[in-house]
Amino acid sequence: MSGRISVVKWPLRNVRGARLITTSTQNTKPTESALEISQKPAQTCPVKGFRARSTHAAIDTSIFDMAPSVKSWNEVPGPRPLPFLGNTWRFTPYIGGYSVEHIDKVCLSLRAEYGNCVKVTGLLGRPDMLFVFDASEVERVFRGEDAAPHRPSMPSLNYYKHTLRKDFFGAEENCAGVIAVHGDSWSAFRTKVSRVALSAGAAAQYTVPVSEVADAFVQRVRQIRDDNSETPGDFLNEVHKWSLESLGLIALDTRLNCFDASEDSESMRLIHAVQTFFLSVGQLELRAPWWRLYPTKMFRQYVKALDTILSVTLSHVEKALKECEANGSSKSLLQDLVAAAGPRVAAVAALDLFLVGIDTTSNAVASILYQLSLRPSVQERLYEEVSKVLQGRPMKPGDVNQMPYLKACVKEVMRMYPVVIGNGRQLTKDTVICGYNIPKGTQVIFQHYVMGNSDDYFSNASEFKPERWMTRSPAQKHHAFASLPFGYGKRMCLGRRFAELEIHTVICKMIQAFKMEYHHEPMDYHIHPMYTPNGPIRIKMTDR
Amino acid sequence: MLRNLLRSVTTRNLRCSIKNNGVTTNFVNQRSIAPLSTTELALKEEKVKVTFVLYDGKKLDTEAKVGDTLLDVVVNNDLNIEGYGACEGTLTCSTCHVVLKKQDYDRLPEEACDEERDMLDLAYGLTDTSRLGCQITLTKDMDGLEVKVPETINDARS
Repeated sequence: MSGRISVVKWPLRNVRGARLITTSTQNTKPTESALEISQKPAQTCPVKGFRARSTHAAIDTSIFDMAPSVKSWNEVPGPRPLPFLGNTWRFTPYIGGYSVEHIDKVCLSLRAEYGNCVKVTGLLGRPDMLFVFDASEVERVFRGEDAAPHRPSMPSLNYYKHTLRKDFFGAEENCAGVIAVHGDSWSAFRTKVSRVALSAGAAAQYTVPVSEVADAFVQRVRQIRDDNSETPGDFLNEVHKWSLESLGLIALDTRLNCFDASEDSESMRLIHAVQTFFLSVGQLELRAPWWRLYPTKMFRQYVKALDTILSVTLSHVEKALKECEANGSSKSLLQDLVAAAGPRVAAVAALDLFLVGIDTTSNAVASILYQLSLRPSVQERLYEEVSKVLQGRPMKPGDVNQMPYLKACVKEVMRMYPVVIGNGRQLTKDTVICGYNIPKGTQVIFQHYVMGNSDDYFSNASEFKPERWMTRSPAQKHHAFASLPFGYGKRMCLGRRFAELEIHTVICKMIQAFKMEYHHEPMDYHIHPMYTPNGPIRIKMTDR
Repeated sequence: MLRNLLRSVTTRNLRCSIKNNGVTTNFVNQRSIAPLSTTELALKEEKVKVTFVLYDGKKLDTEAKVGDTLLDVVVNNDLNIEGYGACEGTLTCSTCHVVLKKQDYDRLPEEACDEERDMLDLAYGLTDTSRLGCQITLTKDMDGLEVKVPETINDARS
């Protein structure tokens, strides 16, 4: 792992080297040779060929042990804030040189200019931030997490949950949800929901209905193709509808009929509310926060949208509760949640799923379809794999597990173009990162987009090679913590199993139905607010 | 209308929580005193011996119920393995990583599922015979099982 060896400039790594020696098998003297743990995990991968890899010795984060070599927060490199203006001015159009839509490029250049750990201070209304571009440090921070890691979140949603509607979210203990909630209250809620939503088989029961929605989407694509068999310019919106339809099924036990809902239906109200939420949340979060001073028009729309989503989810939870009582047993996520944690937890969980589970999934799908449309040979291999497994029959639970290439393709797109380009933590204690003592309260942003595309962590990082996820050899660089589209640990994406099921299913169905080609100018990606192709996704869909 | 809904939900919720209390909701914290199981209850309470060998060579011998997972064993017997099972068996971390002997590994009734493999990728000190403890359910013929717990950051801290 030359990437690792070449970055010995931080004193911390020397300490780590010393630790590795003490943990080697000579000292622990295991009686069984089969139980030996690799002595040099940092240099060589202990497993031959197939899936492997952790990388780094985890070491002590307490600053006392290594005080002599730890540098202070002030010494962390980064763009200098101006007096009064801080660094916010850098995001002013034309003058500042940094653009919110192209944070991806900003981050690449920050790394090139300042190294693997960059301090960005003086941003209006935000705590100081530390950008981390070193996957081994990401691993260290994740491994050192305590029971309730703090994840920075949207202040506007925070305000909605904890101030504006605190009567509802605060009425019952530990019932505010997982988004924009921290500490014990987050932990208690998360525990209730994650057992139901994340265990290995949780999503499989939705295979059949989710694949029916995917079929409906394929049908919809056939209808909306233009004369050239190309998808229309607002194709992403259709993907949003698919995503909402799938999520309605999972979170609310309901087919919302998004593809042909009438204007005054409940589904349409929900669709509009979700759209309003997405449109306004970006504006509220990225622009100057006037809503903190008075309720702006945008903010009032935003609150109204959230109220609508909440009331719709509540009415469906009511229904699920009645069914639960009638049947005596539960047979869906919603009913499981109602049974395990009560209707209010179920409603809030559904609300959170709606807030963060729609555009993430749909942008991922749009991005994957676009990337596949550029690569006919990958499509052929996928088609072969899918046909071999399904052999013309409908999908059933477990089918996707027979499709390793499909899964690898999804992972590969998410490595190169992660929908969320970074992940963050607000430090709950002083922590040493990259040899600097980073104070508690700092927002640490792990730059997965940059790391995933770096040759330090993946061999030939600029090449699209799904195979790298299937067979691995020690000769191939592959740092597991460099690409983490769903995060890691206690705050890992709560909807991961469902998102994966939805994505795998719809890609599988699209590959089965169409040959995809793209005949326009190649698209760049931008932050909008997901990381997504910048332009209309016009893919030529030829029936197979 | 919203307020009405909220009110009705609260009363229903009370009824519901009384009715369902104690089934699956007790899993509050992995250090909680109440015994818990992340798997179905075994019909008979059969016991097997399991030994955890820590990275520093220390051995923790314990008695475990058939049908429990290795994570259950650590939690229920209050074994002092710092940081073990941080995600409470939901396959979102790799802190319950154990290394088995080759013959034990080969005898396990179930191979690692894709979700477990994804997490094993992120485990420190991965070996050919690594598994996640939360996914290994004890059977009667596993009596005397010995597993090694690799070092984690939390071990290093103590």
